[in-house]
Amino acid sequence: MTDENIINKIKDTLQSKVIEITNPAPRRIFVKVNRENLLETVKFLKEQFSFTHLSTITGVDKGENFEVLYHFANEFSVVTIRILTPRAEPKIPSICEIIPGAILYERELPDMFGIIVENIPDSRTLLLPDGWPQGAYPLRKDWKYERPPEIIPGEE
Amino acid sequence: MAEFQVPIGPQHPALKEPISLRMTLDGEVIKDADLKLGYNHRGIEKLAEERNYIQNLYLTERICGICSNSHAMCYCQGVEKLMELEPARRGLFIRTLVAELERIHSHLLWLGIAGHEAGFDTFFMYTWRDREVVMDLLEIISGNRVHYSINTFGGARRDIDDLQKQKILDGMEVLRNRTNYYLNIGVTEPTFIARLSGVGKLTKEQAVSLCAVGPTLRASGVPRDVRKDDPYAVYAELPFEVCTADSCDVLGRAVVRIKELIESYKMCEYLVKNLPVGEIKVKAPRRVKENEVISRYEAPRGENMHYIKSNGTDKPERLKVRAPTLANYAATIEMLKHGFVADIPLIFAAIDPCICCAERSVTLIDSKTGEEKRMFFSQLRKWSIEYYTKKPKLTGVTWPF
Repeated sequence: MTDENIINKIKDTLQSKVIEITNPAPRRIFVKVNRENLLETVKFLKEQFSFTHLSTITGVDKGENFEVLYHFANEFSVVTIRILTPRAEPKIPSICEIIPGAILYERELPDMFGIIVENIPDSRTLLLPDGWPQGAYPLRKDWKYERPPEIIPGEE
Repeated sequence: MAEFQVPIGPQHPALKEPISLRMTLDGEVIKDADLKLGYNHRGIEKLAEERNYIQNLYLTERICGICSNSHAMCYCQGVEKLMELEPARRGLFIRTLVAELERIHSHLLWLGIAGHEAGFDTFFMYTWRDREVVMDLLEIISGNRVHYSINTFGGARRDIDDLQKQKILDGMEVLRNRTNYYLNIGVTEPTFIARLSGVGKLTKEQAVSLCAVGPTLRASGVPRDVRKDDPYAVYAELPFEVCTADSCDVLGRAVVRIKELIESYKMCEYLVKNLPVGEIKVKAPRRVKENEVISRYEAPRGENMHYIKSNGTDKPERLKVRAPTLANYAATIEMLKHGFVADIPLIFAAIDPCICCAERSVTLIDSKTGEEKRMFFSQLRKWSIEYYTKKPKLTGVTWPF
């Protein structure tokens, strides 16, 4: 199965749902879809090409939008599904029903970017400590860490 | 029936991965397991956005202490793709050599821990003594035992000479003999096999659906290895086979690692004997034009993956790191379920998170009376060995190859 076969088959089946499809390097395919079509695309990749292995989910802060990248791998290639979600309403559907192994990666997104993952089976925070301030999302570009002033007990 | 909740962890200063596990027990049987991460979250991804590419090379190396080369090399080859740089061939060979030596030291370390958790401490002493051979070789090549810093954009930082080559070949010969001896122990020592067999079951379907990686996945009979599927550096021309086992348990994971050790010796010898002449590195630019890249690497524990996005400056826009142990956590929970309390150290050690080798505090809470009992991990280990001494010995189990 070559990259070309995969690209052609994705184009043929999903047709207009695919916004953009690129192949910048051998064994690397990027497919851009709308977030409404994410589940369908994931299901299609899993059933057609056995892209069962989700390597990880990456979130990127692009200002107006958040970009969410789902990196799928099989023996032949790595297909990355790219979706955008607006900063004002950052919501994405959960893919855990199709790929159960996605749970830890999906739990990371609300922590780090404040992206709401709908229908996630486990919505607790994963990485941030207890008592972390509400609305502070470390991997957003506008979040800056400020070291709290050092207070030495007994000194004025 | 009374159910127990057993929290394990989270903190211990000696651990590289503090993690909190909460087990729900029904008698001896684990009904459910839950985990909480983030106790060692250092914000490296955020920090990387404020450092330039060459600084990040040394930052990524410090993500992990045991597989330090895997993160640095994964990041390095990703950035080289962004720079459209073709690294020097001799440099690639040296890099791959260090990568394989690292795999050898990591697998030997794991074998020792598996022996230790199974109550076979002689095995632990043996493997860790032999691990010194490969640690010395790494020190000869790089000057360091842990952070080798062999990678740089465009090649390797240090060259190797004929004397070093000879020492590596001699070392491989010693280690090969020792590994064959371990294989012999595995085949002829029925108590060791009986202890590992059937523990921490993970079926092929579960392993695939939970996105497990590395030896954990391969021990469930899935021949997936980034070195073969998506060859990087010089793996495309190296002679090696993907090692698998079908037993889907801790025994299978041990078999896979021992087989991989033998493959690694073969690769190291090939790399040393066929080392091309020439420069070890080429000059790399400081700025990187806007692009994105996915870099994959087969670390000792499984697939390691970096996603790097550049924005035209000398700093990356985004660096995403997914280390192999994270990918195996979902599968670990599945392995722990329906197992025994006495198997927790062994199952946990089997994914190689280096969590069981240190003292850990465990609190046993009786859900009926709320009574608490505190146990150190070493006591849990001791108790688990005693537990299995009293149990009838599993018979009719053989080494699967």
